[in-house]
Amino acid sequence: MSQPPVPGRRAASIEVRDLVVRYGTVTAVRGISFSVAAGEHVTLLGPSGCGKTTTLRAIAGLEPPESGEIRIDGQPVFSSTPRVRVPPEQRGLSMVFQSYAIWPHMTVFDNVAYGLRVRKMPEAELRERVAWALGLVQMRELATRSAAKLSGGQQQRVALARAFVFGPAVLLFDEPLSNLDAKLRAEMRLEIKELQRTLGITSVYVTHDLEEALAISDRIVVMRDGAIEQAGTPAEIYDLPRNPFVADFVGSANLIEGRPRPELAGPGLVALQTAGGAIVHGTAYGRRPGDRMCLSVRTVHVRLSRERPAGAVNVWPATVRRRVFQGDFTQYHLDWDGRTLVVRGVTADPVDEGSTVYLTVEPRHCVLLEG
Amino acid sequence: MKFRRFRPGPRLVSVLVGAAAAVLVLYPIAFLLQASLSVGDPQARPPEAYGLDNFADLPRYGHIFANTVSVAVAATAMAVVFGFVMGWILSRTNVPGRGALEQLMALPYYVTPLMGALAWSLIGSPSGGFVNQVWRALGGESHLIDVTTPYGIAWVMALFEGSVAFVMIGAVMKSMDPALEEASQVLGAGRIRTMLRITLPLVLPGVLGAAIFVFAEMLGSFSAALVLGLPARFYVVTTAMYQLVSQYPPQFPRAAAMGVSLFGVMFAMVYVYRRIIRAGSYATITGKAFRPRAMDVAGLRWPLLGLCGAYLAIAVVLPVVTLLYASFQRLATAFPRASNFTLANYETALSLDAVRTALWDSLLLGLGTASIGVVLMGFLAWMIYRSRLPGVGAIEYVLMFPQAVPRLVFAFGMLWAWLIFPIPIYGTLWLLLIAYLTVFLPLGLRTIAGVMLQIDRSLEESAQMCGASWGYRMRTVTMPLLRPGLIAAWLLLFIASVRELGASILLMGPKAKVITPTIVESWFSTSTELTAAMALLQTLAVSVALVLLFTVVRRATQPVGE
Repeated sequence: MSQPPVPGRRAASIEVRDLVVRYGTVTAVRGISFSVAAGEHVTLLGPSGCGKTTTLRAIAGLEPPESGEIRIDGQPVFSSTPRVRVPPEQRGLSMVFQSYAIWPHMTVFDNVAYGLRVRKMPEAELRERVAWALGLVQMRELATRSAAKLSGGQQQRVALARAFVFGPAVLLFDEPLSNLDAKLRAEMRLEIKELQRTLGITSVYVTHDLEEALAISDRIVVMRDGAIEQAGTPAEIYDLPRNPFVADFVGSANLIEGRPRPELAGPGLVALQTAGGAIVHGTAYGRRPGDRMCLSVRTVHVRLSRERPAGAVNVWPATVRRRVFQGDFTQYHLDWDGRTLVVRGVTADPVDEGSTVYLTVEPRHCVLLEG
Repeated sequence: MKFRRFRPGPRLVSVLVGAAAAVLVLYPIAFLLQASLSVGDPQARPPEAYGLDNFADLPRYGHIFANTVSVAVAATAMAVVFGFVMGWILSRTNVPGRGALEQLMALPYYVTPLMGALAWSLIGSPSGGFVNQVWRALGGESHLIDVTTPYGIAWVMALFEGSVAFVMIGAVMKSMDPALEEASQVLGAGRIRTMLRITLPLVLPGVLGAAIFVFAEMLGSFSAALVLGLPARFYVVTTAMYQLVSQYPPQFPRAAAMGVSLFGVMFAMVYVYRRIIRAGSYATITGKAFRPRAMDVAGLRWPLLGLCGAYLAIAVVLPVVTLLYASFQRLATAFPRASNFTLANYETALSLDAVRTALWDSLLLGLGTASIGVVLMGFLAWMIYRSRLPGVGAIEYVLMFPQAVPRLVFAFGMLWAWLIFPIPIYGTLWLLLIAYLTVFLPLGLRTIAGVMLQIDRSLEESAQMCGASWGYRMRTVTMPLLRPGLIAAWLLLFIASVRELGASILLMGPKAKVITPTIVESWFSTSTELTAAMALLQTLAVSVALVLLFTVVRRATQPVGE
């Protein structure tokens, strides 16, 4: 596809320092700091009400923060001391809204051309650029259609094209896919990732959907109650959650608590004894065990077998209490060590409810959480 | 350098416009209060001394307050029954032709209480009323009906206000999620039980809210009580105030004290209304799209349809036809005689300079009020519901004040306020323009806000994120999306201004007359038939003006293609 040179700025970096946002007496964001490198795709992930959208809107300039500092490409756009307040329209950013915010009184073309007309681009060049943007989102044929007559997915594409067509320094996404059905969501996820690659633009993406975050991010910032719980690459967040919240929110995990048994631990490993008496071996990944330890075990990392497998550690018998068929996998709820353990197994060879099975999990998949 | 991008533009403008509008509202109210506290020479200005004597005097007018309350209670009861029955039939049953009927239900509102009162006086005054003429011709004694009684006045007011109650109650009934009733039925409750235990409690806050709103309006209503009550020396607070001000010597402080008391009561009512609406809205409004469930009323369909038709016939067709009939007669009588028919009333009305200039002035004022009002109120609505500037909540509160003040009372405050204003606008059309803009602030704001609140904020924010400045956003996004609301507000302001009576009757000067008070003057001083012709001419003029404007506007904004 022909790609006209992008006008405007190159990708810019973002720095957020000690950001505090308050609504009346409620503190939505409690002094968070993070940065996004030029060209990087960062996702703010967390449950609803965690402050992720507020943070995004503060970067955009749509929400006035109480204190802190936001810099774009090194230039402060908000700062409490010294006082700086750059209005949203002068920050050189662009944003895709959760509601799409497609203007119903304009055509698809006019919607996309808006940002270019604001920048007074000559009409011929403008037409070329709008066609290019619509092409990227596969909407070129619908350019003359009234925006009021678009489906949800089509509105989403128009919103995307409108957001990047004028070559903003940063693209912000506010849960852009949450109003689409599951299938379309998976499709658009790929398209957004593709687009990010094509444009090489810096982006901040807000979602509560884990899969979405894992699929499209270079880095993920997990938030809760207006604070950052953990920041890292998708693999780090998934494989090495720092605390029970992240372990639980990012994918499904079993948390196993107990007191340390350092004398049982092999080289590089940690060991704990649960209240029920089971000895579990895990991996510290550089973290230091305290006097109470907690291991996170992903439900997909536990293997079930009918016969007792070979192996010295982390092999236990358990009883299948409930089997839930879920299509791509089968979820088992097991009675183990006086508690319930959730395990996801392959569907091909289901184990019956009530039968006894053996569980195995490798110590490298039992991740020590920070004390 | 640090402040290089700090631009106070829209913020400063907002503060100034908001403050100006607040002054527009509060300035007359302050003078009303001042006048009510004035003791000593009632003509002295500023007051010679202050005291509460005027309020202490009010018990002397106890019968007038009692009249006001009894008329308002009777009118409210009838209007709410009309509104509830029509609302239920048209939003919850499968009566044929519901869509069209719903549109027609707005008509009684346009007939106005003044036209209703004039017509009903012709129909049901004890001596010359058409119904009573027929009654006597059939051998009846004295009279069958009498609209000059409190209940007659209440009846005329209720017919008009019924359409307001209908709009309010119908909206509540429509906004109820049918799943709430279906859930009750699924759980085993029968139709009657569901109605009593689910439907009624959910609708009740809305009905109560409508009743309080209507009651407040009725307390402050003026024209029906003036036309029907004054000849029989039956006074309510507003007509008594008018009498106190227009008699010689005028009793300004006493009238002001009456106005302040009425204002106080209505203010409390509107406050309670808002509380109820806010507290009751949780149950029925879910924000999800649904179609209210229509109850199959089977054989009752036609009787119910007939009921709606009867209301429209009595509230709209009957008054208009009566006025038409009377306006073509030399001497209004129930029994048609060829020799009695004439066009002379129209000839007279059109030849009277007073009528011609008044009509022209009214249309001009309507045009001015609507055009300036839409810009002013559009901006205020944007500021209150969109800008998120500090203090807009207080400004909204102040701007909604006129809703709780009868227009006559408000005009009274203005009378005093602008008399001492250094620029001589008293007795000119300018004063009326200012008065209209002030008293219709709530009407315009509510109409525009209704549309504005439906426009998602992100539609404006996305324009901002595309780099558009405030002015550019307003021009390309906000205004075009608001257009239906702005047009509706323009029409309402135009119609309301041309037909305004309560404020105009006090504020118009001998050289700046407007049409509605002229009609009332004619009612009291010339013939009934001529007055009927004038009232119809006014309606005709408004309609023609609207049709003309619509044609021009449509031609001017004809979209190319599509």
